[in-house]
Amino acid sequence: MRSIRTFRHGGIRTEGEDTWIPRHPVQSAFLPNRAVVLLKQHSGSPARCVVRRGEYIREGMVIGRANGNFSGNVHAPVPGIVKEIRATLLPDGGEAEAVVIALEGSFDRLGRRLERYVWSSMSRSDMLQTINERGVIETEPPGRPVFDILRQRARTDLLVLNAIESEPFLKTETALFLDKANEVIDAMGILRKLLEPARMVIAVDSPEIEKAALEAASLAAAGASSLPSIEILHLERKYPQDLDGQLLDAIEGPRRRAKAEFLTIRPTTAFAIFEAIVLAKPMLERYVTVGGKSVKRPAVLKARIGTSIGDLLAECGGFQGRPARLLVGGPFRGIAAYDLEAPITKTTTAILALSDSEVGRLRRSPCIRCGRCARACPEGLDPNRLYRFLGKGRSVEASLEGLGQCTLCGSCGYICPSRVPLVAAFSTAERGSAGARMAK
Amino acid sequence: MKKAHDLLVGPPPYIFNRQSTPSIIWGTVAALSPALAWGLYSFGISAAAPVLASLLAAAAAEGAVCLVTKRFTLWDGSAVLTGLLVSLAMPPGVPLYVPVISAAFAVVVVKGIFGGLGSNWMNPALGGVAFAILNWPQEMRTWILPRQLDGTTAVSGATPLGLIQSRLITAGSDASSLLGAGGMPITYADTMATGALNQGLFSRLGAELPSGYIDLLIGNRTGTLGELSGLLILAASVFIISRKFIRWQIPASMIGSFTLLVWIFGGLPFGRGFLAGDVLFALLNGSLLLVAFFMAPDPVTSPSSRWGMLAFGFGAGSLTFLLRQFGSSSEGTTFAVLIMNCFTPLLDRPRGLGRRGAPQET
Repeated sequence: MRSIRTFRHGGIRTEGEDTWIPRHPVQSAFLPNRAVVLLKQHSGSPARCVVRRGEYIREGMVIGRANGNFSGNVHAPVPGIVKEIRATLLPDGGEAEAVVIALEGSFDRLGRRLERYVWSSMSRSDMLQTINERGVIETEPPGRPVFDILRQRARTDLLVLNAIESEPFLKTETALFLDKANEVIDAMGILRKLLEPARMVIAVDSPEIEKAALEAASLAAAGASSLPSIEILHLERKYPQDLDGQLLDAIEGPRRRAKAEFLTIRPTTAFAIFEAIVLAKPMLERYVTVGGKSVKRPAVLKARIGTSIGDLLAECGGFQGRPARLLVGGPFRGIAAYDLEAPITKTTTAILALSDSEVGRLRRSPCIRCGRCARACPEGLDPNRLYRFLGKGRSVEASLEGLGQCTLCGSCGYICPSRVPLVAAFSTAERGSAGARMAK
Repeated sequence: MKKAHDLLVGPPPYIFNRQSTPSIIWGTVAALSPALAWGLYSFGISAAAPVLASLLAAAAAEGAVCLVTKRFTLWDGSAVLTGLLVSLAMPPGVPLYVPVISAAFAVVVVKGIFGGLGSNWMNPALGGVAFAILNWPQEMRTWILPRQLDGTTAVSGATPLGLIQSRLITAGSDASSLLGAGGMPITYADTMATGALNQGLFSRLGAELPSGYIDLLIGNRTGTLGELSGLLILAASVFIISRKFIRWQIPASMIGSFTLLVWIFGGLPFGRGFLAGDVLFALLNGSLLLVAFFMAPDPVTSPSSRWGMLAFGFGAGSLTFLLRQFGSSSEGTTFAVLIMNCFTPLLDRPRGLGRRGAPQET
């Protein structure tokens, strides 16, 4: 039996998450009657709105133009009339400008067979421009535009297709990969042309994905696409295996961790690249996991950007019992939503309605210095010590202890039997230090 | 469809491990119940009085602390665990004021005054036991024979360890003669089990198990309420380690270092020279196993780093040996662990504070 690799330090194995298998092929969700399309779905500044109220827009038309670095184009996910352009509440309580489109008229893409473009003759800059034009961004927060990521790279030693679900409960990457393995492998070919990596690896942590990846890779190798050998690495299922540092640690070992120039990419992002270049399709829809015990019929759905999370929940049968938590994203790095009207964006990986038993006991008690947090920390920090420093306002000492290395993965907070709000303190501190840097 | 406004909103993470601090503490209480049940069986139902008294006193003391601090903390179970551990370290038939005052002392002075659960530097239960040993030495040294040994629960002179301590036995010190001198006859169960083991296993290995050790393992001996049965404590230790209530390092290194020292030096007082100590006898008598699994690894008062835990256990085991061999009392575990409690901050950060270029405390 092969030894299954993983990162060296810390990490957690969660228990009690639901174990349903996403249906294959993934179904499309109902089209939204009113699509609320945020103009900021990416890490940079909001896109500039280029439509007016009352205007009729077609499916896939640009409605927001990228505005500076790490900003991205925003397209109309459905055809219709621009009802209003207004500030909308985000799931986390923030505000952003959104274009509200009332569904109307006919579809240019839906239901039509799409022509496949042969990309092998495209130049590097053409491909990059296409990716930029189609508004392709990373499919998880913070949503860095793929154009900006690729453009800056001079050298890539290692390209990793990160087919590991980022958090427990999520099935998004799995569902996409089982559906679209061939397309994802094609996207690897596109990236190979763009980056010329020395090594390409598909990191998986489930046998199903490994099987699908093997089949697709051998199919591609047999075909004319002349892909280099893609290694498939089966890593242990341990959170947070998907983070860049931990992934590289598992693949290359800790010594090479600092040196290697590497890029990780998610299957969903790779698929968006494939669609942009081969099908000339902007990012209009995405795979979303609707899960948790408080959802009647958990599923992975292909949803148009701008669909409300309430609509997706309703399509999955609505709530079952009273949900203890409603989350956009995963249970570790997602955000607690308080508005069912909040729209799906390009970075919405999941909507989770968790039951009390899945959440677990919340009540705080005093720290008993058990050391579980330090053993769980994948960065080898001592969260309890950092927390005590921050509690006393001694942020300099906290930084010296390595606060800057914290990835906010949440392992310490999950494992803490006393429910000390470690992660909240660290994220506040990191926001504070980011603010301090901006001020300088 | 329900509006989401009333849903719980807060910082991540949004799921938690099943184990919580109260569940760990109550789980430890549950793990101690077989040892307690054996004590009650051995000494009769009257032995329940000190246990109940101790539990009530600990709970009442915690209640009083709650009134002062205005935080209700009885549910976390730490006071109950402290009360239980204090009573398990009491000889049966101890006057009730001893466990009552000791448990209250443990909860109020050792834990409460320092800021409650998580803030005390000294193990509360051991603090209470030390308090009892120092204040009522005579009461803490009055032993009763368990019913399995004579059926009448008569007052007995000493524990096996006490016999060694008082140098009553100087020669021919195998377990059965020691136990016999303490008025503890070898039971039928021991004879049968020892015979079967010798025939089936040890004879093939060219060894022989002398009689008496099975009695010690089961708990047919004098001792405190909770320490009697090494077998039940070991079973409980499997439970608490597999559930990750405690980590294995402290008990392993404490028992390991103690065993090693007993083996090397334990034979000297009997004129048997080096490497001739009676390891099994030393392990199965006194409170070593109970303390090593249930008190020394208390996370609050012991280190949490791997090497810190090993060093802590090594110190506790070595001190136990020294105190038993050269101290004035036959038992040494309590003070050994309390002394090591003092070293916990040092063992967790052996390089000390401020050595990594951090600004000095203001």
